[in-house]
Amino acid sequence: MNLFSYLCPTRITFGDGTASGIGDILSEMAVSNPLIVTDKVLVEKGVLDPVLKSLADSGLKEVPIFQDVPSDSDVDCVRRAVELGKSKNCDSLIAVGGGSVIDTAKVVNIGLSMGGDLLDFEGINNLYSPLMPMVAVPTTAGTGSEVSAVAMIKDYESGKKLLFGSRFLYVNAAVLDPTMLVTLPPRLTAATGLDAVTHAIEAYVAMGANPITDSLALQSLQLLFQYLPIATASGDNLEARAQTLLASTMAGMSFTNSGVGIVHALAHTVGAKYSVHHGIANAIFLPHGMEFNIEASAARYAQVWTYLCTAFSGCSSANKALGDKFVSVADPVQAAYQLVNAVRELLKDCSLPDKLRDVKVPEFSESSLQELAETAMTDPAIMFNPREASPDDLISILKEAY
Amino acid sequence: MSIFSSTDELQEVMAELWREIRATPEMAEKLIASRLIVQFRYREPEGLLTVDCSDGKELKIHVGQTDIKPLIEMSMKADIAHDFWLGNVNVPMALMMGKIVSRGPTPKALALLPVIKPAYQIYPKVLEIRGKSSQLAG
Repeated sequence: MNLFSYLCPTRITFGDGTASGIGDILSEMAVSNPLIVTDKVLVEKGVLDPVLKSLADSGLKEVPIFQDVPSDSDVDCVRRAVELGKSKNCDSLIAVGGGSVIDTAKVVNIGLSMGGDLLDFEGINNLYSPLMPMVAVPTTAGTGSEVSAVAMIKDYESGKKLLFGSRFLYVNAAVLDPTMLVTLPPRLTAATGLDAVTHAIEAYVAMGANPITDSLALQSLQLLFQYLPIATASGDNLEARAQTLLASTMAGMSFTNSGVGIVHALAHTVGAKYSVHHGIANAIFLPHGMEFNIEASAARYAQVWTYLCTAFSGCSSANKALGDKFVSVADPVQAAYQLVNAVRELLKDCSLPDKLRDVKVPEFSESSLQELAETAMTDPAIMFNPREASPDDLISILKEAY
Repeated sequence: MSIFSSTDELQEVMAELWREIRATPEMAEKLIASRLIVQFRYREPEGLLTVDCSDGKELKIHVGQTDIKPLIEMSMKADIAHDFWLGNVNVPMALMMGKIVSRGPTPKALALLPVIKPAYQIYPKVLEIRGKSSQLAG
């Protein structure tokens, strides 16, 4: 067996209403002056209320809130949040939101804890001491940022993406409260859910996959195939919200230790260039990326397929459709294609687009194809892909996905 | 015990390797086009080597301390560098496992990994010339 290391130091608290226990979690961490990082929509919808009430019950009534995190966060936003945290002498952070909010809060934590210029800490393993205690409360089920060791933000001034990766970027506690997701609209539920599906599938075949990440990815996929269509169609179904939230976190624990692959590389590239939501871009590229990888990973995809067939074979009458859909086949390549087809059907079940042209991406010119392929070749995600890809391979996938 | 017995030996081997890379157009041209300045910081034994392509015209090699400010720093044990040039290290995995520390826009450096692959064939020859061919078994 290959050498590997696995790390997830984050304490995970799961269940309906757990966000109401944040005050206790902070007390256990011996901190008393948190900075809340979130976005305006969540504040307006009242999603933050249980967190604020819990803090007030713990005697924290005047908690500073930074609510200006945009959907695509940047250095300027981080610097403003750091200033607020400094001015209020904050000793900890609470991130309430989706991936952009949690990533932003992680980088704010670097600024508050380390001081100096943020850019000095850009890179991998470039932090040398623990940061302030931080709690993350995800309000989407997809990014896995609450259990990942990385954070990515934009620097609009230089036009660059900044990547921070360090074991000190794991948050101390993740609070998985399904009730925090009930107002998430169907399309965002589906898009973020497909981000989680992509994490799990890419993690399973990635260069860094190991038995621990495998088990997390498999269980995550079982939950997502079963519950994501339900959570998308019925946002107030707390059971479906709970299972997809759990699955997203498990997929996050998997990919942050194994890597992702070609689908993420293309999704990052096209998403940044044409402002396509990350989850939707992943959803569109996933079947194509899997088909490209079958040459190297048919046996691994077949393992996933077999696992899902076994898991769904004993489904109750309510889920009989799953049992009928997931039927075991002996040939690994055929099984791999069955998995690809199941992903395509999941996209349909969740009413997600499966072509780039359907999400307002303009038709590619030869030069734009070349540029996109070259950019995707430099994306760190592609380094973990199980099959080496050339720019021509990427251009073929881009054309197919259009 | 490290593959390299001293800072001088380590830096001489790495500098020689980079001179060979500079003399190989298929690698040099793409590295120069990147306009990156990458500094390699070694430990056990300590060593420092800076590759400067910032002017887009030539690949300059600086051994030891320098005033040049690198865009990217890569820090690692000298033995990890040795294994890397033998083609035995997956850099993203080494970063993930904390064996390599990078500072700055790491993806830009990772993007050049395919470019320098031909150097895996050159490195054993550099070791051989330096009388270190016994280290090839790793």
